[in-house]
Amino acid sequence: MQPRILNYLIAAVFVALIFLTIIFVTAILPATTFQPEATAASHIYTASEWRGREIYKREGCVYCHTQFVRYQDREMGEMVQAGDYLNETPHLLGTERTGPDLSNIGGKYPDAWHWAHHVQPRSVKPGSLMPSFSYLKDSEMKDLVAYLQTLGKERELAARRRKKPTHESAAGGHAAAPAQGPLTWLEAPQEMRDEWKRISKNVDTNNSAIANSGRGIYMQNCAQCHGVTGRGNGPVSSSMIKKPANLTRPFYKGYTDALYYWRLKEGVTGTRMPRWGRSLSEQQLAYLVAFIKTLPVNAATPSSEVEVVNYSQLDQPDVMSKNYEQISRLTEIKDEYPEQLGGGRH
Amino acid sequence: MQALTNLWRAVFSDEPFSASRNFLICAIFYLVFGMLFGLIASLLMYSPDLIHGIPQLAFGRLRPAHINTVLIGWLSMGYVSCMYYIVPVLAGRKSLWSERLGNITLFLWNLTVFVGVYSILNGYTEGREYAELNGPFDWLVLGALLLVGLNVYMTIFTGTEKKWYVSLWYFMGALFWFPIVYVIGNRAFVQFTGLNDAIAGWFYGHNILGMWFTVGGVGILYYLLPRFSGNPLYSHTLSMIGFWTIGMFYAPTGTHHILQSPVPEWLKAIAVISSVFLLIPVLTVQVNFFMTLKGKWHLMADHIPMRFAMAAGLAYLLTCMQGPFQATRSINWYLHFSNWVVGHAHLALLATFSFIVFAASYFIIPKITGRKIYSRSLAIWHFWLSFIGWIVMMLSLTIAGLIQAAGWHFTLPYDQWVMEMVPYFIVRTVSGFLLIAGQVLYMLNIYKTVFSKSAEPLPESPTGIAYV
Repeated sequence: MQPRILNYLIAAVFVALIFLTIIFVTAILPATTFQPEATAASHIYTASEWRGREIYKREGCVYCHTQFVRYQDREMGEMVQAGDYLNETPHLLGTERTGPDLSNIGGKYPDAWHWAHHVQPRSVKPGSLMPSFSYLKDSEMKDLVAYLQTLGKERELAARRRKKPTHESAAGGHAAAPAQGPLTWLEAPQEMRDEWKRISKNVDTNNSAIANSGRGIYMQNCAQCHGVTGRGNGPVSSSMIKKPANLTRPFYKGYTDALYYWRLKEGVTGTRMPRWGRSLSEQQLAYLVAFIKTLPVNAATPSSEVEVVNYSQLDQPDVMSKNYEQISRLTEIKDEYPEQLGGGRH
Repeated sequence: MQALTNLWRAVFSDEPFSASRNFLICAIFYLVFGMLFGLIASLLMYSPDLIHGIPQLAFGRLRPAHINTVLIGWLSMGYVSCMYYIVPVLAGRKSLWSERLGNITLFLWNLTVFVGVYSILNGYTEGREYAELNGPFDWLVLGALLLVGLNVYMTIFTGTEKKWYVSLWYFMGALFWFPIVYVIGNRAFVQFTGLNDAIAGWFYGHNILGMWFTVGGVGILYYLLPRFSGNPLYSHTLSMIGFWTIGMFYAPTGTHHILQSPVPEWLKAIAVISSVFLLIPVLTVQVNFFMTLKGKWHLMADHIPMRFAMAAGLAYLLTCMQGPFQATRSINWYLHFSNWVVGHAHLALLATFSFIVFAASYFIIPKITGRKIYSRSLAIWHFWLSFIGWIVMMLSLTIAGLIQAAGWHFTLPYDQWVMEMVPYFIVRTVSGFLLIAGQVLYMLNIYKTVFSKSAEPLPESPTGIAYV
């Protein structure tokens, strides 16, 4: 063999090896090492449901509907887990959402609704862009609806079972507020809970002295939006379309420490709530959690007074004077409820 | 009988460069057809009741038909056409190793695309994006690819030219990588379950672009630029760095399509890092592109193929600036699941790689047939319709995508914001009309050139400037 050809051969083998290694690592290796355990949501399909899945595949539903809920997808139901997909071959994850995510669609609507929706989507959803599937045979439609009704049903049920507050978990620390009924599904992501577990070892959020340390941080950073009394009616709130949270609502008393910590650290998507984790230390965030927990429970929401401003005719000086008025009123409120501001339930 | 014999001779001809010519003719046919599917699908995006009760023309079937026709039909065949001309020329041969094999491959390929797309329209689909062709067609495509590979490799090995120009490297790389990607991506040997299926699926979905369209297209561009401009390629070293880094970094990027799904974190990390590293091959191509054309930009005024090549180079710059950043977690987090990505895909496949084939075909067809392109003004119309078409399409899809992304992220009611996208979808259809009009002119122009009886002798022009 001529040396020149040999050189090329060596190069070719080298290329082949490098490329096959890369392929192996990224396409084949995951199939051997990534073997998630089956979760309750990994549905085993009946014959009819599987036929429905084939129709879903055949009609190209996957080009507009996704089947995975991401962290940032609020109000789309339970997050998916790796083990949910064990029986999903071929995968129907999807890449584009012209229509809603269908991970948790099962059980949301009655069969008849789905049926009508497939025959003429605009009969039940005005303005929908979905094509009509009136050409499906009745038996096919039945299978398709049966398949859709399986999506995420087990996931939601399992989540409900998992998150049902037990006596121990609700008790938490020695003085944690009892979890309030329907709000207990709220929960920070697992990594935040782990992080909080680590941080809370050093900071007792039920200690009034610690809460008092948080007060200063709150007044400096949070009061301009959430207000000095935490009612979400700080001066800046008047110019916001999405109002800051009224932290005195009973709703927030269902929050766990970790959930508060998560919201503080990562901010709240879709609002102006910043990611305080970028500017405050973990300890400061923990102090803030302690302080926010001391805010009083109050069903009255003075922030609605701010909301009545007609933004289309927003008169800047007028709004500003209103704000000053509100601030002065809020300072008065402090005198009205001295015991609530001075330490809450500690 | 005579007509049949003639047809037989034309189809399985042994004439030099006949395979290249035949591949291009068929490719343009699929181009117009594939775009037609896309156009009808785009109409359905805002008037869903336009076509009622015809399953073959439902959006969910037109879309995979559109993708497979333009990818496997038009673009892949266009690439093979270009390779079948460029490889013998660069290898110092008079024709391919076997023109007849080339024409048989073409027959196989046509069969696959035609029956495959027909079956997709009738609901016989694998259901995996970009890999919808079902089992038997996968094998046919693979067989055709291997035959193309055999022909190209043998042409190079039997050529008299012992110093291989960089384009040959790119073609050999493409024809080595793509069959492997195809086999794994279409899960021909093994079936993966659940999320592993998605990982393999997106390994294919991204690498049909990375290991085939990019590698092949850059190879063609590296041949065309020095030819058009008369300048030597600016840097062979850079082009080789580009070649090797494409091989290193393109393969693992697929997982960035499912970045927020529960697949292993290490895989996502590799995908994101490699996606950003893709800036290296991109910048090498760009540096070579701009430096090779240095001092020759004025040629764009007269030289129609060069105009296409320049538009392709600029679109490539734009695509590849979008790509790596879209793949980072913080940006993907917002843009994923939106029409922005569809715009990005059109930018890559239409504005970059299709334009490269346009440029090549206006240069190659006169060389093969020995005739000038039928009409210069048709070619100019083709350029402007396509150029304006893709800009309008990309802008409208990008804006629609931003609306969509905002809608999902701020959890606005779905029914509210989806109507806001409709005006942009309408603009997208308009751009589709522009594009398809341009391609019909293109088809007319090339067919007239190839099949005309009058043989106007080709003027002497090494850079191809006088061909159009």
